[in-house]
Amino acid sequence: MISTPRTCRAFRAPCGVSLLAWDSSLTCHRWNYLQAGITKIMLNLQEGVDLQTYMGIYTAVHNFCTSQKAVGFSVTANINTGAHRGAHLLGEDLYKKLQEYLSAHLRGLLNESKLHTDEALLAFYIREWQRYTVAAKYIHHLFRYLNRHWVKREMDEGKKSIFDVYTLHLVRWRDVLFEPVSGKVMGAVLMLVEKQRNGETIEYNQIKQVVESFVSLGLDDTDVAKTTLDVYRFSFERPFLQATRAFYQNESKQFVAENSVVEYMKKAEARLDEEEERVKIYLHPDIAIPLKKACNEVLIAEHSTILRDEFQVLLDNDREDDMKRMYSLLSRIPDGLEPLRQKFENHVRKAGLAAVAKVSVDVDKLEPKVYVDALLEIHTQYQGLVKRAFNDEPEFTRSLDNACREFVNRNEVCKSGSNKSPELLAKYTDVLLRKSGTGAEETELENTLSQIMTVFKYIEDKDVFQKFYSRMLARRLVHSNSSSDDAETSMISKLKEACGFEYTNKLQRMFQDMQISKDLNTGFKEHVQGLGAKGLDSAYSILGTGFWPLTAPNTTFNPPEEISADCERFARFYRNKHEGRKLTWLWQLCKGEIKTNYIRNAKMPYTFQVSIYQMAILLLFNEKDKNTYEEIASTTQLNTEALDPSLSILLKAKVLTISDGDKVGPGTAYSLNYDFKNKKFRVNLNVGMKSETKQEEAETNKTIEEDRKLLLQSAIVRIMKARKRMKHQQLVSETINQIRQRFVPKVGDIKKCIEILLDKEYLERLDDDDLGYLA
Amino acid sequence: MSSEKDKSTQKVTLASNDGSHIEVDRVVAERSMLIKNLIEDLGDDSVSTAAIPIPNVNDPVLRKVVEWCEKHRGDSQQSTEEENDSRKKTTDIDEWDQKFMQVDQEMLFEIILAANYLDIKALLDVGCKTVANMIKGKSPEEIRKTFNITNDFTPEEEEQIRRENEWAEDR
Repeated sequence: MISTPRTCRAFRAPCGVSLLAWDSSLTCHRWNYLQAGITKIMLNLQEGVDLQTYMGIYTAVHNFCTSQKAVGFSVTANINTGAHRGAHLLGEDLYKKLQEYLSAHLRGLLNESKLHTDEALLAFYIREWQRYTVAAKYIHHLFRYLNRHWVKREMDEGKKSIFDVYTLHLVRWRDVLFEPVSGKVMGAVLMLVEKQRNGETIEYNQIKQVVESFVSLGLDDTDVAKTTLDVYRFSFERPFLQATRAFYQNESKQFVAENSVVEYMKKAEARLDEEEERVKIYLHPDIAIPLKKACNEVLIAEHSTILRDEFQVLLDNDREDDMKRMYSLLSRIPDGLEPLRQKFENHVRKAGLAAVAKVSVDVDKLEPKVYVDALLEIHTQYQGLVKRAFNDEPEFTRSLDNACREFVNRNEVCKSGSNKSPELLAKYTDVLLRKSGTGAEETELENTLSQIMTVFKYIEDKDVFQKFYSRMLARRLVHSNSSSDDAETSMISKLKEACGFEYTNKLQRMFQDMQISKDLNTGFKEHVQGLGAKGLDSAYSILGTGFWPLTAPNTTFNPPEEISADCERFARFYRNKHEGRKLTWLWQLCKGEIKTNYIRNAKMPYTFQVSIYQMAILLLFNEKDKNTYEEIASTTQLNTEALDPSLSILLKAKVLTISDGDKVGPGTAYSLNYDFKNKKFRVNLNVGMKSETKQEEAETNKTIEEDRKLLLQSAIVRIMKARKRMKHQQLVSETINQIRQRFVPKVGDIKKCIEILLDKEYLERLDDDDLGYLA
Repeated sequence: MSSEKDKSTQKVTLASNDGSHIEVDRVVAERSMLIKNLIEDLGDDSVSTAAIPIPNVNDPVLRKVVEWCEKHRGDSQQSTEEENDSRKKTTDIDEWDQKFMQVDQEMLFEIILAANYLDIKALLDVGCKTVANMIKGKSPEEIRKTFNITNDFTPEEEEQIRRENEWAEDR
């Protein structure tokens, strides 16, 4: 604004100057003219307004507001109140008259409304509301000059009770008509809605209009520019929700009494959908959430107990669709699903235990495949249910996982030994990965391996699985009867993915050793050829000591000359390449083939596949046809544990015959059987005995306990190295956390390990039950 | 309802209070909020046959106003609050408008009154700025002279006003 000293009393900004000589006060005559025009717009707008009238009213308003006001325009007033007002704006009289007119009109409508009830009242309200608001828009335009100047100034000065002309209409409607009549209108609305809920067709547009009307009346008294939903919420939403609750409370109570739970769920689902539709069709979107909440409470929460009680029945009968429905209903209320999850978890656990019990009539003869398949079948069945009926919800998956973990680790089979699950799983994997006659399809094998991993995930004692797996992998590799390198690699990488690098490190090294050995053998063959010496057709495997679950033979052995010459040559060759490495011969794993040329009546010479011990025994018979037990023992240097089983097999296969006794042992003698007969020309005599594998199992289980102690100790040292000082109790729980990935440790074992470490002076006792780390 | 295209070619007739009729494009007439609201309320048909009476404006002034509206027919109608503010604070007037406002004082006030009556905000602003520029930098005495105002203050009153407005004086 431009600030300039005032030059005279009545100087006005140009916008306020009037050159027309109008009377300053609102005369009856002039108001009568305006009132006639307004009344026409209010009541007979459908007949139309002509240009003359429109312009006439506008001009009359304009001229009134711009007319000079002589009265009360004294010097003092001017100086005290008008110092910052360039002009005195007129309009209060006009505003008041309009306000009075509207109040009178609305009081008339209020009286008229008393003649109507219910739907007729609704129709009356809508009709008058529409007529009134359309007229309000016209009058707002016609009184625009009042709005622009007088009203604007009043509002700028902070007067709360002055509104623009359109808002004034709404305020009057709210105060004069709406307040006394809205309850009855709402009653009519609710009646209509109830009719519709009972299946009748209704004229819902009326309700929609009532909603719009109530929303329009939400004027914020402190700031006219803003609208609020307060009026609507109080006068529409609140009673609507009350009525909805009452209706469904009644209906559901009756329905449940007369129908099955399954039927009720269908009914409730339909009702909930219906209410959602209702919001879309004719209610305000604001009600969607509270309405949903109210319906959920009345239709679901209040019946949640009987719904949940039905869940077990549905589970027992595999009623997937009904379970899905129950899930979707109970998921709508807070904490609705937790009881279902508990029931589900229990049910799956029981199903799993039952499935295991069914196959484990004789635990000792239990086929690994049958056992694992039984576990998988339950898992697959209920995982499918979670996917299809429970929306694949993570919480249900967790319940499933909990249940599976329970029945995988603590079932009928595990009673005989807690390591049974991982052991059987590892064995099944071995069956799959071993060369077999069936030759399963590659993709099929891959799928089965993935399923193995599903069970593996639930195994708590993963270290047990690792032990058995590595033993069996060693056997497959050493005896080269693995079905395919690809499958082996795939399985190892799966395990690595599940448990990390450390878990599969040794497995991977075993695999690598075999690869390196292959190259080494090629090099050795070339070396032998270069020497021009005639060697055996031999193959050597170099196995890193720390990585393979193998131990040196527990017997002395003096290999036959033919073998030892080749072995020594290889040892020289290897030492040449890798100085300083110590080679230990694992004779118990060596094997070979020998060809016979002594047997009578043989069309073709037989070939025997034998262990190296057997080979050493048989080669003795090249010198003479009969050897005593003592002779054999002293030449081969084998102890009885190794010698006796080897001889037994040769006897059983009738390669040798026994004399001077019938049980292998000192004092007996053995002769070559020249009349040996067999259907096959290649005879496998290198068969491990049952007792041998049993023994191995027992051994594996024993090493597990020892390894666990080491694992625990290393975990404790790791933790203490990082923390330096810790409470005993804290250390125990931290250790459990770290080790849980591998197996579930017992607190007692951890305490024992701490004692050991204290003795070894890795740790020290400090005051206040603290433990310290000694570097 | 008529389409947008009809709207741009549609004509309306304005009738001044001294009986002359001026035909203008509808968009030109709608620079006046009064006429814009009127057409919106009464419908397109109501103005296609009959002339809109403008009882407060005479022929010369109405022609002048229409001339301005023709020139500014393309201006954006809605200026944001910010623009309004910055426009209010400056007394700069564009060249065409300055020329347009080079009329005698009586005509200038007539245009301002008509713009106020017809609710053409931009024209009202230009008019008021023109008057403001006439006042700017003048002493009370010079202003009285410019606008032909008699000083009806008593010396005491004048002293009081001077004290009140001391802050605004150039020193």
